[in-house]
Amino acid sequence: MIEHFDPRRQANSVDFSKDYGTPAARPGAASVSVNIDGVTLSVPEGTSVLRAAALADISIPKLCATDSLEAFGSCRLCAVEIEGRRGLPASCTTPVVEGMKVTTQNERLAKLRRGVMELYISDHPLDCLTCSANGDCELQDMAGSVGLREVRYGFDGENHLEKPKDTSNPYFTFDPSKCIVCSRCVRACDEVQGTFALTIDGRGFDSKVSAGQDEAFMDSDCVSCGACVQACPTATLMDNSVIDHGVPDRSVVTTCAYCGVGCSFEAQMKGDKLVRMVPYKGGDANHGHSCVKGRFAFGYASHPDRLTTPMIRDSIDQPWREASWEEAISFAAKRLKAIQAEHGRESIGGITSSRCTNEETYLVQKLIRAAFGNNNTDTCARVCHSPTGYGLKTTLGESAGTQTFDSVMKADAIIVIGANPTDAHPVFGSMMRKRLRQGAKLIVADPRRIDLLKTPHLKEAQHLPLRPGTNVALVNALAHVVITEGLEDKDFVAKRCDTDAYQSWRAFISEERHSPEASEATTGVPAEAVRQAARTYANAGNGAIYYGLGVTEHSQGSTMVMGIANLALATGNIGREGVGVNPLRGQNNVQGSCDMGSFPHELPGYQHVADPNARGRFEAKWGVALDDEPGLRIPNMFDAAIEGTFKAMYVQGEDIAQSDPNTQHVEAALRSLDCLIVQDIFLNETAKFAHVLLPGSSFLEKDGTFTNAERRINRVRKVTPPVAGKQDWEVTQDLANALGYPMNYAHPSEIMDEIAALAPSFAGVSYEKLERHGSLQWPCNDDNPQGMPTMHAVNFPIGLGRFAITEYVATEERANRRFPLLLTTGRILSQYNVGAQTRRTHNQHWHDEDVLELHPSDAEVRGVSDGDWLGITSRSGQTVLRARISERMQPGVVYTTFHHPGSGANVITTDNSDWATNCPEYKVTAVQVEKVSQPSAWQQRFSAFDQTQKSHLAKAQQEAP
Amino acid sequence: MSNTDDNLIHMVNQIAANLSGGRDDDTAASATCRHLETFWARAMKKRLAERVQNDPTGFSPVARQAATLLAERLSERQAS
Repeated sequence: MIEHFDPRRQANSVDFSKDYGTPAARPGAASVSVNIDGVTLSVPEGTSVLRAAALADISIPKLCATDSLEAFGSCRLCAVEIEGRRGLPASCTTPVVEGMKVTTQNERLAKLRRGVMELYISDHPLDCLTCSANGDCELQDMAGSVGLREVRYGFDGENHLEKPKDTSNPYFTFDPSKCIVCSRCVRACDEVQGTFALTIDGRGFDSKVSAGQDEAFMDSDCVSCGACVQACPTATLMDNSVIDHGVPDRSVVTTCAYCGVGCSFEAQMKGDKLVRMVPYKGGDANHGHSCVKGRFAFGYASHPDRLTTPMIRDSIDQPWREASWEEAISFAAKRLKAIQAEHGRESIGGITSSRCTNEETYLVQKLIRAAFGNNNTDTCARVCHSPTGYGLKTTLGESAGTQTFDSVMKADAIIVIGANPTDAHPVFGSMMRKRLRQGAKLIVADPRRIDLLKTPHLKEAQHLPLRPGTNVALVNALAHVVITEGLEDKDFVAKRCDTDAYQSWRAFISEERHSPEASEATTGVPAEAVRQAARTYANAGNGAIYYGLGVTEHSQGSTMVMGIANLALATGNIGREGVGVNPLRGQNNVQGSCDMGSFPHELPGYQHVADPNARGRFEAKWGVALDDEPGLRIPNMFDAAIEGTFKAMYVQGEDIAQSDPNTQHVEAALRSLDCLIVQDIFLNETAKFAHVLLPGSSFLEKDGTFTNAERRINRVRKVTPPVAGKQDWEVTQDLANALGYPMNYAHPSEIMDEIAALAPSFAGVSYEKLERHGSLQWPCNDDNPQGMPTMHAVNFPIGLGRFAITEYVATEERANRRFPLLLTTGRILSQYNVGAQTRRTHNQHWHDEDVLELHPSDAEVRGVSDGDWLGITSRSGQTVLRARISERMQPGVVYTTFHHPGSGANVITTDNSDWATNCPEYKVTAVQVEKVSQPSAWQQRFSAFDQTQKSHLAKAQQEAP
Repeated sequence: MSNTDDNLIHMVNQIAANLSGGRDDDTAASATCRHLETFWARAMKKRLAERVQNDPTGFSPVARQAATLLAERLSERQAS
């Protein structure tokens, strides 16, 4: 067993639990020597006196300074004496210079500081004992530190003590009576989050923190990231959970289980209760920032809907029966064996989870390959980033993004294609906005006018509002401009790329039919805008491309990924910081689930099942013969189920009935299974079709690792016991044993050791090493013992980069007279994926139903007003949603989300898919929209089925002894 | 599209269309065949091969050539 390790105690670096007052100076700065209170030390040039003192463990009192924000110099508490300088300068705004001599404590300074504190306290409620920040208040600490003993001004004068609280936000309370107007919240909103929702209203004594134009927090532009709450030194902005439960007493560093950014958090506990999630300053992905989901939306883990007991039943029309773990596992194993005996080895399969840990995912695919004896394993990445795997492996030789998140801070031009980082990857979105404020140029290729284009203080931005489904035509036009205008990086191409592939691609892309002028009619983007964008990217110095599901979820998803790689190769924007090809991954462990061999054709580490050497190593380690043919992909499984050749499925932490396209087809497939085993924390939509229900464990209840979008492997640490008694990997292990394939892991670290032994890019990964380094970016092996932040710096895993021919093939899904509009789908900030987690939190306040966004002109033609019920019909089905009229849309394009199951967004999406990987074409569905007065037929059936299944569950829970 | 044969033919046509850019028909067909061998499940390959041998309608020319090539390679493999 591995002991709990606290990375904050690392000796070789800064202490992330300490506040150094101002941010670190830029790396690589020259060293200067300074003397503070008789202690001589060397610090990087640009370091503030306040930070230098903190580095020498000399603490100077401070209130408006904190090391996540630039120095502000307003509170005057950190004043010091500097030899040879007049007055008492603020140490936070004074940089050290060579030979500087600083005094931080003497009678003169003490008097000044007491005077400052005396003024603050004269207008502050003296209710420390009953205050929510009691014991965790910087004002209280400073009063103690400066030795404040009296307030000569009394408390009767004019003050702010009667200011009303703002409790509009469900997660935090704003109590202006406790505000000291240090501006930390305003600066956090500006500098860290980049939303600029807060301001200081008024002047002098009337100064006050104001959300928007003196609005309530919920009515303002605030996105509830909580950076202000974290920055507040008093109880002015306070987590409601701390108000309710008191200050936490211990904390464990772990990794968020929401999006692919993979933020590190301190889970702050009181006994077994999670009180607060505070983003961890030492987190390599997030550097102490978070979003509304990660910081606040953790209440689902203790929601009464959590499944706590295994359930079984013979048919899905029957009520559930509670069972012991042993009974449920043996029931499942018996059924699986009987089905294989009757219908053959290939009649069963499973789906690994992109929300579970690497170790759990590895174990599920191992169970399928070794115990089921086939390769019928797939994962949710099938429906999101499988084209990334195919496209990047073909061109660059590795199925992953090339950079770190931090790399964006060196980008000069940023192209964002089919991604919406401020909603779907908010913490990275904030970092990108920071770089945009510094002057990087932005190019957005998206049918919608995404919020990134509204970044405050954005310098230069270009929007290419293309028609859904025409990505490849656009990327070819961009590449055509690069080549025909001589903007390519000839040296890079000559040195780093395969010449034959380049020459044939060059001939292809130079053809006039790829010019922006020729493709304008297809993409709808003016040719001159395309030319300008190509020039901006190619001439920028460092050009970086970020993309999301708006690239992959198309019939040409894989082609588009290759088109992006072509563009980066041709301009030499690969292999250093500030550039690269960066897929923004949706779920927390999509990268990991792909790495761990979840796909039917690949063993862990992207090794093809037909490769006899790789397969041989797995066979030797696992002690069984493995199938050398790929298995079924998720949509193939559905087709085979409907046809009657695929009979049983083990689904861990994945809600295919809600998330996969063409819901009615998926439902028909699930209904035709003889045995569906679902392992999840809730009765999700898929579980309603299940015969065996195995309660899952949340990320707070398990040990393991997640791998984020920058290939960063981060530890997940158990902070509370699993509610149903087992971590997910233990359940898979039990099922394997019941099937007669022995698994005997005592801890996930042993599973990681096995992964390291079998997957070359993980060879150097171990829990011990993760503890030492905090996190590691694969490949991590003998050649790269500390991992590889930037890929392809010297060469590609396939030697030379390979340009790929990217012929534009129009999707078959086209608007016509019957279905004149194009529907595209996406995400919003407050909800996550199928919403199973976030719908069970206060995040519902922001988005309690999915709506259909449409352009005012499309609405007008149909006589639609905001809030009307709209029937949306495609060739797959019909659903009904409320209308929201929005200028973000272009005419002819409508948009919705799929966070609520009853919305039935996927009833309308079709089974069209990417040619190479079968990733569904979620982003293009031809639809008609009309006003209606009642839910669709599917919605009525859904509602009835939902009620029945919920009552089946309730009945079992009531009958339990 | 519920009919499995139609579905398989649709997929192989789509693969062939995407792998045809910048290639002559023979090269495109062999690239398509290699794609099927690399990514398709055993049962799907077998079924496609049977279908193209029994009824080659519905296939695009390159897709038909690829499926025929696949059928030949499967029977060679079976023979060895």
